[in-house]
Amino acid sequence: MTGQSTATASAVAAEPTTQHQDQASGRSGSSIELHGVTKQFAADSIALRGINLKISGGEFFTLLGPSGCGKTTLLRIIAGLENASDGEVEIGGASVTDVPAHKRNVNTVFQSYALFNHLDVRENIGFGLKMRGMDKAEISKRVTETAEFIKIGNLLGRRVDQLSGGQRQRVALARALVNEPDVLLLDEPLSALDAGLRSELQLELSRIQRRLGMTFIFVTHDQQEAMVMSDRVAVLNDGRIQQVGPPQQLYEHPENLFVARFMGHQNLYEVRQQDESGLDTCFGRLVGEFERGTHVLIRPETMTVVREDDVNAGPNVFAAVVRERVYRGHVAEYTLDLGNDTEIVATCNNVGEPMFDVGTRVAVKVQTSGVVTFHA
Amino acid sequence: MSSRGFHRGMRAFWYVMLFFLYAPLAVVALYSFNSINSSAVFAGVSLRWYAQLFSDETILNAFYNSLTLAITSSIIATVIGTLLGYGMYTYRNRRLGWLIWLVYLPIVMPDIVYGISQMSFFTSISNATGLFQLGLGTMVIAHVSFQVPFVALLIYSRLVGLDAMLFEACHDLYAKGWQRAWYFILPTLRPAIVSSFFLAFTLSIDDFVISFFTSGPESVTLPIFIWSAIKKGVTPEVNAIATLMIGAVFAAAVIALAFQYVRAARPRAAD
Repeated sequence: MTGQSTATASAVAAEPTTQHQDQASGRSGSSIELHGVTKQFAADSIALRGINLKISGGEFFTLLGPSGCGKTTLLRIIAGLENASDGEVEIGGASVTDVPAHKRNVNTVFQSYALFNHLDVRENIGFGLKMRGMDKAEISKRVTETAEFIKIGNLLGRRVDQLSGGQRQRVALARALVNEPDVLLLDEPLSALDAGLRSELQLELSRIQRRLGMTFIFVTHDQQEAMVMSDRVAVLNDGRIQQVGPPQQLYEHPENLFVARFMGHQNLYEVRQQDESGLDTCFGRLVGEFERGTHVLIRPETMTVVREDDVNAGPNVFAAVVRERVYRGHVAEYTLDLGNDTEIVATCNNVGEPMFDVGTRVAVKVQTSGVVTFHA
Repeated sequence: MSSRGFHRGMRAFWYVMLFFLYAPLAVVALYSFNSINSSAVFAGVSLRWYAQLFSDETILNAFYNSLTLAITSSIIATVIGTLLGYGMYTYRNRRLGWLIWLVYLPIVMPDIVYGISQMSFFTSISNATGLFQLGLGTMVIAHVSFQVPFVALLIYSRLVGLDAMLFEACHDLYAKGWQRAWYFILPTLRPAIVSSFFLAFTLSIDDFVISFFTSGPESVTLPIFIWSAIKKGVTPEVNAIATLMIGAVFAAAVIALAFQYVRAARPRAAD
């Protein structure tokens, strides 16, 4: 928390250099509304099936889903690079459904960066302003400011082919931001970078977004990335929105099996029978007051694994055998065999607790706070 | 066979190949400076054949015709071919297979077939209408028609090699149609356009077969002149023309290499 407030303080100190951005966007980006957006490429290929979505101004919104779920198509429809077969797109309250890409005040950071090789970094960043007919001195001033802001001021004279992947990513970002768009669209911009650079840029993107107050729409297939950066996430599958909400809500209260799986949950079981005092699963009865549902998930970090002889026989304790153990540093992740071909994954903090070897007979205690029911 | 033996063998082959490529050129160049009219005995150094060459109006005229034909046809073919290549790229997702074949066919068609058909075509039109009399005009048309596929192919393959997102980035960055063409497509294609112009020029300047069939009495080009001169035996004058052409090609190659070298070494101006 302290770190965050320091970051804000230094951001305010550096404010004058990026004043124009704040003036133009009025410190809050434009809202976006999608009404029944549908995209059909061919008779048998439907990319989007009636998407309704409201994204507030200044929100960091993520479209999350597996490849082929339609998330990139949706982004391209907002950019104007693709026409919706049906439905309406509104940006800042005005319909842009029939406005071509080059007339929309929206910019995209492409997955492949799409930098122009025949131009140097300065010319790449200034391309959009030049196309809009801004005079050279003003372009030069804004390009320099934005480049400083994105920390690539020293690269302005470089050729594109002299840049590393991370640098190209920053140039692509600067090339979009310099135009002060109503909305910035980011199409899996970090997927080509290595892990370290990725998490660095994830944090920086959220920092930039907070400072500019611009609306960001981010596309990714990586749920970790979505959780780290977003205010809200929409999970897409098969051209439909499965669930929309803040990352915590998606993780802790998935509305269906797909969202639960996609958010990384492994302990998913069918509910065989449910009453006021608990529910039955294939490995036994969970006692507690749970909402009604057809499926149940158990969060691995809420379970406790103990030696079998430590069992204080009670509700929600199950005998198991350690099948696999993955050491992750701060936690150990156990795959436990509950019998009847049923497995459960539990993670335990590695603080002074004994590690269990594969084959050890253990008991796993499930806490009711880590049990979530939902309808498939 | 040992790898070392193999490599020695390949090296020897390389020298043999170079010899057969360049020795004939050297011989031609040498005898162009011969002081007597012989291709067997070298009697002494002289520039008399060059002097004769530059005072021979037929040769100068043929040279002039060749240049006019090559430059005119190459410019036209580069423009048309670039547009065609761009069109082929733009509509590459439609089923254009047969149409692309129509474009590529002239590349594999034997020149002799192509030349004869062009001649009959122009002759029958001119017999019927009086238009398209065989001459420089018909030669330009014939040359453009066989240059265009090469240009289109070069431009098309360059475009296919580009990241399709670049076109979208232009759209996204507010570029209108003409701005996309002027600020992105043309600069990006410039190297391919320059190479296709030179390719077209080379194809035209050394074409004999198609020129021969489509030329008129007034439009003798250098290859046609050389061919008819050689029918009377190889003269040192022909050697002199050949030597000048070899010199021109070498000069062009050196200039092209120098350009590449300069471009690769050029540091970008610091801001």
